[in-house]
Amino acid sequence: MSLAAQTHGFLTPTGVEIAFLLVGLVTFGAALVTVTTRQLVHAALWLVVALGGLAVEYLLLTAEFIAWVQVLIYVGSVVVLLLFGLMLTKAPIGRSPDADSGNRWAALTVAVAAATALVWVVVDAFRATWIDLDGAAAGSTKVTGASLFQNWVLPFEALSVLLLAALVGAIVLSRRAKATAAASSAAADAPGGRPAEEGVR
Amino acid sequence: MSRPSPDHRPSATPSGRPRLSIPGSGLAKGLAVTLRTMTRKTVTEQYPDTQPDLPPRTRGVIALFEENCTVCMLCARECPDWCIYIDSHKETVPAAVPGGRERSRNVLDRFAIDFSLCMYCGICIEVCPFDALFWSPEFEYAETDIRDLTHERDKLREWMWTVPAPPALDPGAEEPKEIAAARKTAEKLAEAQPGPEEGDA
Amino acid sequence: MNDAADVALRLLIVFAVFLTFPLIVGQTEHKVMAHMQGRLGPMYAGGFHGWAQLVADGVKFAQKEDVVPSGADRRVFQLAPAVALLPYLLVLLAIPIGPGEGAVGQVLDAGIFFVLAVMGVGVLGSLMAGWASANKFSLLGGLRTAAQLLAYELPMLLAAASVAMAAGTVSLPGILHAFHWWWLPWQIVGAIVFFVAGLAELQRPPFDMPVADSEIIFGAYTEYTGLRFALFLLAEYAGIVVLCGLTTVLFLGGWHGPWGAEGLGWVWTLLKTAVLAFVVIWLRVTYPRLREDQLQKLSWTLLVPLSLAQIALTGVVKVVIS
Repeated sequence: MSLAAQTHGFLTPTGVEIAFLLVGLVTFGAALVTVTTRQLVHAALWLVVALGGLAVEYLLLTAEFIAWVQVLIYVGSVVVLLLFGLMLTKAPIGRSPDADSGNRWAALTVAVAAATALVWVVVDAFRATWIDLDGAAAGSTKVTGASLFQNWVLPFEALSVLLLAALVGAIVLSRRAKATAAASSAAADAPGGRPAEEGVR
Repeated sequence: MSRPSPDHRPSATPSGRPRLSIPGSGLAKGLAVTLRTMTRKTVTEQYPDTQPDLPPRTRGVIALFEENCTVCMLCARECPDWCIYIDSHKETVPAAVPGGRERSRNVLDRFAIDFSLCMYCGICIEVCPFDALFWSPEFEYAETDIRDLTHERDKLREWMWTVPAPPALDPGAEEPKEIAAARKTAEKLAEAQPGPEEGDA
Repeated sequence: MNDAADVALRLLIVFAVFLTFPLIVGQTEHKVMAHMQGRLGPMYAGGFHGWAQLVADGVKFAQKEDVVPSGADRRVFQLAPAVALLPYLLVLLAIPIGPGEGAVGQVLDAGIFFVLAVMGVGVLGSLMAGWASANKFSLLGGLRTAAQLLAYELPMLLAAASVAMAAGTVSLPGILHAFHWWWLPWQIVGAIVFFVAGLAELQRPPFDMPVADSEIIFGAYTEYTGLRFALFLLAEYAGIVVLCGLTTVLFLGGWHGPWGAEGLGWVWTLLKTAVLAFVVIWLRVTYPRLREDQLQKLSWTLLVPLSLAQIALTGVVKVVIS
């Protein structure tokens, strides 16, 4: 990054900047549709568009590594998990009549507040900073890795501990549920059976 | 990967000792089977281009050797689905020697098999006492009209020439009845007339 | 102008590869599978040993009516084949087939992440198809697809991460430049895990639970006809090409070979890819389909631990030799 605001003006945008803006608008629109559509699976698919749009934004900022990780984790795994969950529900093809929430105004307030805070913080922090896109990629894997494991290693480790805690918690929750279920139907089922098969048969 | 289920693993050799098996050896064996099959000659017959090599006892179609037929009607009567049609008339044959008796003879007028009814059981061939019916490996006699499947004696006669020679008996097989009978007769004759033979010698 | 022509040429070549290689693999599968079962396979189309069978199939598919079930979610249903197919085209762009600048569609800094991420997106197509078809078999197929992807994405990533650790880079040409022959035994476990997980992600037999035709007809693709169905099939075979190419590049040294690495490197890449594609077909012919629980068990209790062990081994060796 370089402080080169003098050479850049808002009135003479480059091609990359225009593309960035357009993709940003598409992402924003997709995100809006995601939360407003009444078709649950469509919401998940619009989420793909929004997350993919974010990845494109990363790419435009030359952060290639982050972009592909975004696609890999969010589009490839999180949305697949989401769709998997949705398919297990009774979500109909077409509009779900009950796909609405009573506290939509509260949700809107929280969303607007969060967005305002984030936008304000980011704008305040990077007020006049311009990324020089022409030089060496500022977001290449090497640069990202170096900054992640030199400057930001503590948050990184804290996050991994958080994820580990979530993982252990999920296992504990699922095991407890299974134990109570097994206790309630212990008379019928032989204990120690293979629970994985129950889903199949 | 190497993961044969314990249920499917052969637990013991015929002698009762547990078989030592390397994990994955069953999988490797499967791969070997398919690879070996690939290197061998295929069993496919390229039928319309090359005629199939049919065994001599193939039940293709029933052929008639009408010189042997005496119009005894056994085949028509034994046929489970009544698909053999036989017409005949009697002819008187003048006496062979002067003053002898005239003989009557059955003459075949019509011999037809309706192959739309025939179920290829072969009972007619089995019961024919004079060997007038034979199995022929000929099988290309499909018709576009079901009525054309009733084949008359001339057609059955043509098929006679496609009947292959009977296969040779197995080395350890029982002697054919005709030959056995002939041999017994010859032996009896030989026992009954020992004198002249010795005299000749 | 020259740059534009260069880019256009590369795109054209990649597109041609994308259109022909899957067909070659498909035809090879026809013939190899037939001979492994003692048959001859297609013999008529095209005259010589049925070489044009898949062309004939394509013509047949193009003539068929494109049916969308009345209860289906029309747009999602129609979009799904494209979502399933396009990612593989993108992945092909990033696979280097020879040394040097000209032998790859597009050099990417984070190539491994790109190919794995985009391959994961392809599964979205199956999910969309499974849900939008308004068919219980399709839905079951979609569910199985999702479960399979979740189970096998992890070992695949871990195995790829092992190679990236060994090479010290996540760029595919970079990995190839760092390759030495002794990586082969070093990374062999990772290679097997990667290949098996990739097969599962492509839903190839013996991991074809999501399309198990004896149970759920054709899984997510049950309701598809004509060209859209053909696109799904093409995606499967393009996936084989991509998976074999990736395994070649990551684990088998791509254009490295005992000789001819200078001019004939691409021959080595294609040869190794072809051998792997043969293995894919061979496995399909040999093994029966896994049950769903066996499928999950294989991933979580065998492949994930194996790939973790491979990463540990890679780390230890890397520290020792540096």
